[in-house]
Amino acid sequence: MQFPLEMRALGWAVLVALLSLGSAWLAAISIKAMPSFGAAPTSSAGSSSEIAVSPKLVDQGRELFGMSCSECHGDDAHGDEGPDLHNLPISNARTAVTIKKGIKGEMPTFARKYDAAHIAALVSYLRSLR
Amino acid sequence: MRIDPTIWPKLHGASTHFPMALTMAAALFDGLGFVWPKSSPRKAQFHAAGYYTIILGALGTFPAVLSGLFMTRGQLLGHDALRFHHLFVWPAFAGLVGLGVWRALANDKASSPRGFAVYLVVLFLTAALMAGAGYWGGELILNS
Repeated sequence: MQFPLEMRALGWAVLVALLSLGSAWLAAISIKAMPSFGAAPTSSAGSSSEIAVSPKLVDQGRELFGMSCSECHGDDAHGDEGPDLHNLPISNARTAVTIKKGIKGEMPTFARKYDAAHIAALVSYLRSLR
Repeated sequence: MRIDPTIWPKLHGASTHFPMALTMAAALFDGLGFVWPKSSPRKAQFHAAGYYTIILGALGTFPAVLSGLFMTRGQLLGHDALRFHHLFVWPAFAGLVGLGVWRALANDKASSPRGFAVYLVVLFLTAALMAGAGYWGGELILNS
């Protein structure tokens, strides 16, 4: 039985599209496994607003994290109801904006609870996570 | 050898606009070719332009996707704006590759008007997904 050319082409199109998605998935796994790509950045991920990481700031951030974030992200920040916060693939500035504004339907805003210094401490703590 | 990680956002930005623009151009050209009168030579010209733009667009998705994966350190979904970006990216990627393959194999000679109409619907849908991916990609940059 011979299918028309456009139906055969459709079969190939679906097959190649699925293979491409599979290849992207494999590439993502391989990239995550590469130490030079999967590891956490030493500073921010290309951010213009660097946040200094000092042990004091990290400790302060850890304390704030325990008060406001650990309920959803877990005591060790490895995730619970919320995601794992180790090796965040976003910049410090983006992390600070997310803490401040929250995520609609997923995470509350902390703009009224924490000022810029508090948020900087939280970001420092998150960056210190290994 | 360690590659400077700041190269990936640059490469992603440089490569990602080609498939977006080419998909939208293909939708425009093939849409015009579909409605243009059969008697006009423009019809074939529009279809030829649509043929090359969709194939180039499909080929262009691979460097865009790969540089994006390196940039996000292998994130397939992520959170917040990155998640929305990826929710548009993955179906658009599959759709665009599928469209490119179908068009390369079937071309105009083999496709019936009804078959081509279905192709056009999928093409417009993919162009809309690409626009959504571009919008959320922009949100990622502007809010960072």
